[in-house]
Amino acid sequence: MDLFLQTVINGILLGGIYIVLAAGFSLVFGVLDIIDFAVGEWVMLGAFAAYFGQQYLHVDAFVFLPVVFVAFFALGYAIQPIIFRVVSTKTHLPMLMGLVFTFGLSTLMKGSALTAWGYNPRSLDTFLSDTSLALSIPGLRLFAFVFAVAATLLFIGFLYRTRTGLAIRAAAQDRDKAALMGVRVKDLASVVYGLYAGMTGMAGVLIGAIFSLSPQMGAKYTTFAFFVVVLGGLGYVPGVFVAAILLGLINTMTTVYFNASYSFLMVFLLLFLVLIIQPKGILGRGT
Amino acid sequence: MSAPAAAAGGAAGAGRYRQWLGLAALVVVIVLVPFVLQGFWLRIATGVLMWMGLAVSWNIIGGYTGYVSFGHGAFFGVGAYTVAILMSRFGVSFPLALVIGGVLGTLASAVVGPPTLRLQGAYFAIATWALAKAFEQMANVLGITGGPYGTSLPPLINDHFFYAVMAVLTVFTAVATFVLAERSRFGLQIKAIRENEASAAALGIHTTRVKIMAFAVSAFFPALFGGAYAYWVTFINPQSVLGDPITDQMIIMALLGGLGTFWGPFLGGALLYILKEVLWIYWSNGTAYLAIMGFVICLIVVFRPDGLISFFQRSNARQPGPQGGEG
Repeated sequence: MDLFLQTVINGILLGGIYIVLAAGFSLVFGVLDIIDFAVGEWVMLGAFAAYFGQQYLHVDAFVFLPVVFVAFFALGYAIQPIIFRVVSTKTHLPMLMGLVFTFGLSTLMKGSALTAWGYNPRSLDTFLSDTSLALSIPGLRLFAFVFAVAATLLFIGFLYRTRTGLAIRAAAQDRDKAALMGVRVKDLASVVYGLYAGMTGMAGVLIGAIFSLSPQMGAKYTTFAFFVVVLGGLGYVPGVFVAAILLGLINTMTTVYFNASYSFLMVFLLLFLVLIIQPKGILGRGT
Repeated sequence: MSAPAAAAGGAAGAGRYRQWLGLAALVVVIVLVPFVLQGFWLRIATGVLMWMGLAVSWNIIGGYTGYVSFGHGAFFGVGAYTVAILMSRFGVSFPLALVIGGVLGTLASAVVGPPTLRLQGAYFAIATWALAKAFEQMANVLGITGGPYGTSLPPLINDHFFYAVMAVLTVFTAVATFVLAERSRFGLQIKAIRENEASAAALGIHTTRVKIMAFAVSAFFPALFGGAYAYWVTFINPQSVLGDPITDQMIIMALLGGLGTFWGPFLGGALLYILKEVLWIYWSNGTAYLAIMGFVICLIVVFRPDGLISFFQRSNARQPGPQGGEG
């Protein structure tokens, strides 16, 4: 029973990080119709940004959470016009072009990171690195969970409680009509993509602090982001809460009760089945 | 062969024969290569042939039909594992194993195709991707595949033999794709689905059946190439024949050359494979290749979404040819 309880807690804590990983990703799909293959690489770059910051400044890794958010927001804001141009071209398949462009971006990021930093894994240090609370809840994971949930709630509050958020949701429903109502869709798209890059970069710092970081880590988190967003319903941001916790539970449950090597098989088969049976996500609220 | 083709199309006679001439020229070059290149360079040429064939087959579903499969590596892997297991564990001869591999790859696509092809756009892309990853994980946990340790085949070191195998497969793929996509009713049907699926259905095209056929055809060739590749490299594991790079390169080569064009994937496949090998030979660097490839993809998508082949088509624009169907 203790083992079961521990597994559930671990799963929930793990799932919390996936929330922040997938929230921005889901919004980017909803508003911009872009499936960003580079999501895992933003995670990787976020982790490395914190790593190098720590190497030079010798301060706690969590100091870089806001720094990474701002820097990645700027980066995403700057890149978005290119993506906007790609998905607005008059080719046969603008959606495909967006997909392929972000795929190229992810390959570029991964290849550059591997060339510059090699294959060796590294780790981040934080003041919580070796603390442990009752029932063996590592302080680090609890902090990451709380931070991730708080950041995502703030993000959702921004979406549902501000005028800009309203404009973003309007653009997600119908880009052309929103533009007719005076929403500056192009600028908004940049803000959305910036928010997404910032959130995902922060997820990278948390993940890097809990696990380790290497230029190859991206692919795994791209997988998880896809899973969470599809299960939660593509484009429906609140859905990621349920789906992310579920993914965390699947991860820990299969590892404890079956075998770690089945974990990925389960994730992919489930992802495929959900798409086939209920493409709007388990809550049925996706676009 | 050319008589029904000329009859089917009507006016533009010269343009259609030029395509066949191009194919004939390709065959002549493929036949002549072993007399010029030896050893290492012949192996590079073998790889070029294989990747051209893979890009051409992916183009059937991704380029002509407009359904972007991010999981075509799965069928390559099915072919590779079938040949590896049949030859190493059951002592089946290579040609028979290769044919069985092709059949199994097509069967796999016929099983997963119907449910998956109901999805469109991003959903289809993610579903095929998830499926391919599931295949890779399956090969990792199953006993018969040897798990992560892989499977070894009876080694055969004969550069000319493998060049000949790939040459036959590539020419077969090229001619079959040309006839199916550019010279048949089926080709018109898949292009109609790409342009507007609802209108295509309204015109009486059985879109589901046509899509499943296109998916199966474009899975059949990669399964054959996978089988030949397994025998060629004599050792395979889940990462080498089911990993992401296989699918990724198929897509990128087709895109680089020109999606939905006949000659584009040949161009893209040859160029990218040679770039990769050159980087490897002169800088023994596999990671810079990734960075360069990614950068090239971004450039192509932004500035030349119709692929490199569009540089050549511009000069032909005034001649009424089969390529002019894009309106």
